Amino acid sequence: MDDQACPRCKTTKYRNPSLKLMVNVCGHALCESCVDLLFLKGSGSCPDCNVPLRRSNFRVQLFEDPMVEKEIDIRKRVLKDYNKKEEDFATLREYNDYLEEIETIVYNLTNNIDIVGTNKRIEQYKKDNKEIIMKNKAKIGREEVELEEILEIEKQMEELRRQEINRLEQEAKKQKIREKEALIDELMFAEGDAKEILNTFAQNKANKQEELLPAVPKVTQFSTGVKFTRVSTQPTLPLIEEGPLYKYEAPIVPDRCGPDAPSIEDIVRCGYLKHVRAESETEKAGGYKSTLPCLRALQDALAGLYHTS
Amino acid sequence: MFSTSSQRKFWTYRDEDELADLRGKHNLNYISKHGAHIDEIQRYNFFLSPDEERLLLKQYELHLKEFCKRFSPPMPKGVVGTAFHYFKRFYLYNSTMDYHPKEILATCVYLACKVEEFNVSIGQFVANIKGDRDKASDIILNNELLLMQQLNYHLTIHNPFRPVEGFLIDIKTRCSLANPERLRGGIDEFLEKVFLTDACLLYAPSQIALAAVLHAASKEQENLDSYVTDMLFRDAGQDKLAILIEAVRKIRSLVKMVESPAREKVRIIEKKLDRCRNQENNPDSEIYKRRMRELLDEDDIPHTGPSRMSLDTSGVTTVLSPSAS
Repeated sequence: MDDQACPRCKTTKYRNPSLKLMVNVCGHALCESCVDLLFLKGSGSCPDCNVPLRRSNFRVQLFEDPMVEKEIDIRKRVLKDYNKKEEDFATLREYNDYLEEIETIVYNLTNNIDIVGTNKRIEQYKKDNKEIIMKNKAKIGREEVELEEILEIEKQMEELRRQEINRLEQEAKKQKIREKEALIDELMFAEGDAKEILNTFAQNKANKQEELLPAVPKVTQFSTGVKFTRVSTQPTLPLIEEGPLYKYEAPIVPDRCGPDAPSIEDIVRCGYLKHVRAESETEKAGGYKSTLPCLRALQDALAGLYHTS
Repeated sequence: MFSTSSQRKFWTYRDEDELADLRGKHNLNYISKHGAHIDEIQRYNFFLSPDEERLLLKQYELHLKEFCKRFSPPMPKGVVGTAFHYFKRFYLYNSTMDYHPKEILATCVYLACKVEEFNVSIGQFVANIKGDRDKASDIILNNELLLMQQLNYHLTIHNPFRPVEGFLIDIKTRCSLANPERLRGGIDEFLEKVFLTDACLLYAPSQIALAAVLHAASKEQENLDSYVTDMLFRDAGQDKLAILIEAVRKIRSLVKMVESPAREKVRIIEKKLDRCRNQENNPDSEIYKRRMRELLDEDDIPHTGPSRMSLDTSGVTTVLSPSAS
C-alpha cells in the first residue's frame, strides 16, 4: 500500500490515483481538494498548527518527507538576506562560521526551536548588514543580466544556423527542379536516344553530388556554442621514460650435491623404464608419463650423496 | 631436492656431540628455570638428567613406531618417517619435562599425516588412541600449533624411501645383480631401525638409503661395492668417495647399536617425570585447567566498541554553501 495520504480527509493514493499533496511554509501536507475547500477565500490557517497561510504559497510536494519541503522554504527565505559571498570575509574561518550560523538558523526554524529568538537574530542581522545585503542583491542582479546576455547570443547563433540550413535546402530543391526541367527539355528537343540521355543525366547528377560532398563548411564550434580552442589549452601527456629491454636469463641450476642423474632421453634409451610401472591409458590422457617418477626417484637417490656436515 | 632444502640448512647437524650439546642446554635451561628454590644436590634427584631424558625418548620412539604400525587405516611409510623427524626435531629444542613426550608423539603423527597428504580426520585419528578420546583430540589440536612453531614451520621432510626406489631402479638397469627385489626385506628392516637412531639428523636421506641398500646386499651375501665405486662415484674424486664410505659405515654402526631401553629404568624415569614436569603444560593439573578456562572466558567478552557510525553531522553543515539550495 502506498502510504501517501492526506492527513485531513484521509484519502490515499490507492483510492484516488490522481491525489496531489501540497505543502505550504509550515511543512504540513494537504491534498489538492482540501486546499481548494479550506482556502476558498485565498487565505486561512493550517489545520495542523494554526499558522496563517496564503493559498498562493501552496505548491506540489516534491519530497516524501514534508519537513524537507518546509526546510527548503525556510532556507530560501533566510538566504534572501544572508547573501554574503566568500569575498566578503577576511578569512575562510569567518566564512565557515557564517555558513554555520545560517545552518543553525535554518535548523532552528525547521524544528521549532526558539523561533522568536531566531527571528530576532535575523532582524538584527538585517539591520546590521543592510548595505551589504543591498549590494549583493544588486550584484546577483548583474550576474543574472550577464547570464541572460550569453543566452541571447546563443539564441542568435541558433537562429543564424537555422537560416543557413533553410537556405541550403531551398537551393538544393531549386537545383533539382532545374535539372528536371533541363532533362525534359533535352528529351523534347534532342534527337538522340531517350535512354542515352537519361543515362548521361544520371551520371551528371552523381558527379555533382560527389563534388558537393566535401564542400561541407568547416565546423569551428560545437552545437552548444563552446569554442574548440578552449579544449586545446589542456596540457599534453608527459612522455614516459622506457627502461632497458627485458633480457631472458636461464635459471641457475642449484648444486645437487651428488652425481648427475640421467636425462629423460637417457632414461628412455638405457632401459630404466623396464623397471618402473608403465603408465595406464587414462594416466596418459592426463599427461602423466612414467619417465617423471623414474627421474624423480633417481634424482632423489643421487642428490645429497656428497653431503658432508 | 635435499641439497637446497631447509632440512639440510637447519636440521642436519655436524655430529652427535652437537646434538648432545643442544639437548643438554635445554635440559639445563628447564632446571634453572623451575628449580631455583631447590638446592644443588637435591636438584639432581628431583629433575631428569640429559641421559635419563634420552632414555625416555628412546622408549617413546619405540612407542611411536608401534603406534604407526598399528594405526588403522594403515599409513604409508613416508608418514612414519616424517613423524619421527618431527619428534626428534622437537626434543632438540625442548625438554621432556616441559612437554610430555606422550602428547607430542601423537601430535607429530597427526601433523605428519597432514603434511604427507594421508587424509584422516581428527575423529578417525583418535580412534587409534586408548583412553579418553575427547581429551586426546583436545591435546593434539592444542599442541599442533606449538609443534609447528617449534619446527620453525619447516614441514617438508626428505625421507630415504624414494631414494631407495631410485637406487633399486638404477641397480636393476645398470647392474648385473640377480633379482634385486630380494633386497627389500633387508632394506625395510634397516630403515625401520634407522629412525630409532639420530642418523636422520646427521646424514642426507640418500646416504641413509644407500647404507640400507648396501646393508641388505651384504646380508644376502652380495657385494655392491663396484656399483658404488665404478658407477655412482666414477666421475667424483676420491675424497668424496671417502666421505660417503665413512657416512655409510657410521650409519650402519648406529643401527647396529640400537637396543630397547630397560623397562625397569624407564618406569622409574616416568615416575620422576610425573613430579618434575611443568604443571602448566599438564592437561590434568589445576593450573592448566584454570588457564584454559581463562582463555575461554576471554573469548566470550563482548566487543564494546562503537559498532555503528555516529549520527553527528555537525561537520557537514560547515561545508554547505548558501547557494546550494
